Amino acid sequence: MTSKVTTEVLEKGTKQVKTILQIPQKQKTKIHYDKKAESEFFVDNSALAGFTGERILYMSVRELIENSLDSCEINRILPSIHLRLKLLDPDNDLWTISCKDNGIGIPSEKVPVAVCSFLTSGKYVEKQQRGLFGVGLKMIAAFSTKDTDHPLRVWSKSDEESEYYFDLRTDIGTNKPITLFKKNVRNEESQIESESGFKVEAVLRAKLSPVTKNKIYDYISQTSIVNPYAIIVFETDEGKVTFKRRTEIMPVPSREVLPHPSDMDLKTLKKAILNFMNQKTTLQGILCNSFQKMSNDKAKEIIMKAGLAVKQADRHDEHELIKVVNICKHTKFQSPNTDHLSPIGEKILSVGMTSEYSIILNKEMTNSGSQSHLSAKILKPALTAYSSRICVVNNRPTIVECGIAYGGDIPSFKLFRFANKIPLLYDEGSDVAREVISEVGINKMGISKKVVKEQFSNVETKSDRTVEYLPIHIFFHICSTKIPYKTAGKESIASEGDLKKYMKSCLSDLYRKVSAQIRRELKIKEDENKLRLYKHYIPFIVDAISESIKIDSKKLSKAFQIMAEKFVSGELTNIAKQIISDSDNNKIQVTKKKKIDNNLDGNETTLNNFDTRNGISKHGNKIKLTKINVSRKVTKKT
Amino acid sequence: MAPKDRRHKEIINKIRNIMKDVGDDILVEGIMPSLEIPKVGYDNTVWSDDKRMLTIGNKTVQIGPNSSKKIPTFAQYLVMANAIRKLLDEEMESTIRGMYYATLSTVGDEKNQQKFWNGQDDSDDAIKAIELLTNVPREEFSVTSKPKGMISGPITLSVGGDLIDCNLGSRATSQLIPTNIRDLEIVKVKADFVMVVEKDTVLNNIRKSGFIQKYNAILLTGSGEPDRATRMMVKMLNEKWKIPIVIFADADPWGLGIALRYKIGSESLSYDSDRLVTPNSKVLGMMFSDIYEYNIPKVARLAATPEDINRANDMKKKPWLQDKRWKKELNLFLERKEKCELDAFFKYGFKYLADIYLPNKLREAGVI
Repeated sequence: MTSKVTTEVLEKGTKQVKTILQIPQKQKTKIHYDKKAESEFFVDNSALAGFTGERILYMSVRELIENSLDSCEINRILPSIHLRLKLLDPDNDLWTISCKDNGIGIPSEKVPVAVCSFLTSGKYVEKQQRGLFGVGLKMIAAFSTKDTDHPLRVWSKSDEESEYYFDLRTDIGTNKPITLFKKNVRNEESQIESESGFKVEAVLRAKLSPVTKNKIYDYISQTSIVNPYAIIVFETDEGKVTFKRRTEIMPVPSREVLPHPSDMDLKTLKKAILNFMNQKTTLQGILCNSFQKMSNDKAKEIIMKAGLAVKQADRHDEHELIKVVNICKHTKFQSPNTDHLSPIGEKILSVGMTSEYSIILNKEMTNSGSQSHLSAKILKPALTAYSSRICVVNNRPTIVECGIAYGGDIPSFKLFRFANKIPLLYDEGSDVAREVISEVGINKMGISKKVVKEQFSNVETKSDRTVEYLPIHIFFHICSTKIPYKTAGKESIASEGDLKKYMKSCLSDLYRKVSAQIRRELKIKEDENKLRLYKHYIPFIVDAISESIKIDSKKLSKAFQIMAEKFVSGELTNIAKQIISDSDNNKIQVTKKKKIDNNLDGNETTLNNFDTRNGISKHGNKIKLTKINVSRKVTKKT
Repeated sequence: MAPKDRRHKEIINKIRNIMKDVGDDILVEGIMPSLEIPKVGYDNTVWSDDKRMLTIGNKTVQIGPNSSKKIPTFAQYLVMANAIRKLLDEEMESTIRGMYYATLSTVGDEKNQQKFWNGQDDSDDAIKAIELLTNVPREEFSVTSKPKGMISGPITLSVGGDLIDCNLGSRATSQLIPTNIRDLEIVKVKADFVMVVEKDTVLNNIRKSGFIQKYNAILLTGSGEPDRATRMMVKMLNEKWKIPIVIFADADPWGLGIALRYKIGSESLSYDSDRLVTPNSKVLGMMFSDIYEYNIPKVARLAATPEDINRANDMKKKPWLQDKRWKKELNLFLERKEKCELDAFFKYGFKYLADIYLPNKLREAGVI
């Protein structure tokens, strides 16, 4: 009976399920194929550009400073940047961020588009620049529009025009700018004092955690290391810090170059052909004119190999063109030139390393509670060194630069990573630079692990890598038009191609360069250690002696101290005692020998008294046998 | 002047001489002072065929304030020497731990502060260094360690003038062997032999069985690694009182090591072998071969650890263990990789060890 009932129930159940399933089959969903505006896409996927919750302000600071620097360097203007970050409305987490520079500015008719429309940029060319995508500033505009009712305020002064002021918002649905207000700014209202420049002020809704705050400080400090020719003023509610200009030398700006043929693909080739559309040229001509390292003969050879008939370039179809691309991939060309890259260079990086700014937050206790204010600290290392390599990674020319700053004010080990002059602050653990540092032994500096660990035994580090005990800052700068980032967040670099090999050779080279100096520094440090030990331990020794025997403890202490200093400075070079075994009575006799300094009035006659023993010693006439120790000798029991 | 006081003065003078030399080096000679100390350790231990014991070699080390590492060590030695002088001056007595506390201190300023001693091991080393420097055992400094050796049987000791009869209550308890050997004297011994065992637990079992009375023996243990007083007691009983010594330890490399401490000495105390080692003592067990001869049940055997294996391999290389019997035993151990404690005999009944195994071994050796 029971089994029947259950089957019935089951049958009923399945029927019900069937009816439920039939519903969606009757009403088919219609899929709408919409085009999403770029602005809407980026606002919805803000993580792609790094604008996520905590990091909104950090990314804004980054984007603004990078835009400003690019805008100055393009015309070799010594940058002067003023960044302000102030809390506007604590209850609603509203911040005002503003950035002013003395760059080339933006022509007034282009300002709204350049500020608000995503994927609009003057930087879509084959050369090294900080920003590339035309997203950063637009993100700030869009977030400001999305979260607040404040307009984005922009002042721009480009070469040809006087200063213009704008109130802007973004129409996120269409990726179009909305100009609320525009006017030509006269003298007294002018915000930009320099010949040209750009200022933007936005209100953003964001939270700022202490961690992110520190990242912003780090970002600005590190930016100033690789841009010592820039004045950066950073102002917050907690104070104002000015990073001074420490050099007037600017790096040679990068130049736009033609693509390298080994990096050719169907898209680049078709684009090249399109550029010559009206000139009725042959494919050979286009290849020569659109790619670097491509001679006439080479182009001819490639087309021959592809077996293409000579005809007007735009008559070739894609099947023919892909043959050309494939052949280029297998043909050897001269290495690409590096004119489109702008390394920091030895001079500039050295300036940055020898005056390393860092922002510190001082806390002061006042009657009304604790107050903190910002100040800048400059670290002066004892020595710096620089080395660089040019290499090809992913078919793109890449420049690896490496710097070392050691000792002086530098308290401990730190790794600095830069890609195209942008500091990388996150994901250090997975960066190729980490591996490079692990894999290059410090013995290249001519020092041993043992010595380092002894000298810096008080350093607290969890790492077992010896180099991290040293007070050393290591800088890596990779520049390329295509940095092999590990993740979309662009915070760490992958070990791709030969990149690691070149970085290692660069670092090894540096280690060798600084080896003599570091050893000298270590010696100084060791001497300091020793002197400190003497200072601390001599009282114990003097007390032990003066409590046991009658002796002038002050005189003893002073004599000991002077001797210790002489010993550390190398004036007193003696000290080993020599053991001479006397076979007759099987006693160990202890003697002291001493290398006489030239100015020490060593008693030459003493030597003669001990002529017989002199024969035993290896040190010839430089030895003075002062006495045969009796009380301290240890005799072997018989 | 009592002889004790005279010895006191002698030692104090030795220490003063060390201090004076150091002071002279600095003030008169203008050179870095340095203490020369015989090197202690495996690389300065020499087997003496003559004495049939381990002795210290000729190597020495220089301890002077001339390297970052040695500056603290040098200061530590002098501070300890001074502390010992004070102890003698005041006619007091201290344990090694007491000396550690008496010299405890911090070094340096607020920025670079550290401890004068990193631990008692450091201060123990300093005491050892002063022993080596003055050629005086620390017992004569009145520096002792906590007693842990135990004795039971027909022997009467005088400790600080009071008599202790170790035969009294020898079925139920044992007496601690005092470490302040300067106050210790053997007054009377009426035993046929002395049996040294590794551990106090085993000693208790044997004692309880009436072994002392049955065989007229003295039972003695160092409770593991024997202290100096225990070793000296064994030596005195053998050499001064002419009593045969037999030793039983566990059948593992560690136990064998302990048995050999009594018989040939140790690397860490090789400088003091003359006072501590009893070359005429006999190590009777427990042999590795006994595990199989007495067919110790599998559950009572222990597997050798890698550490044991290393130790045994080390021992095999020692020139003083080239005797055929030891080689055979060690090879057996390395082959079977099994060890066994004396307690394992309890598996055969609580009286088996005292009633069967030990008498068997003693008979084989002709002791009873």
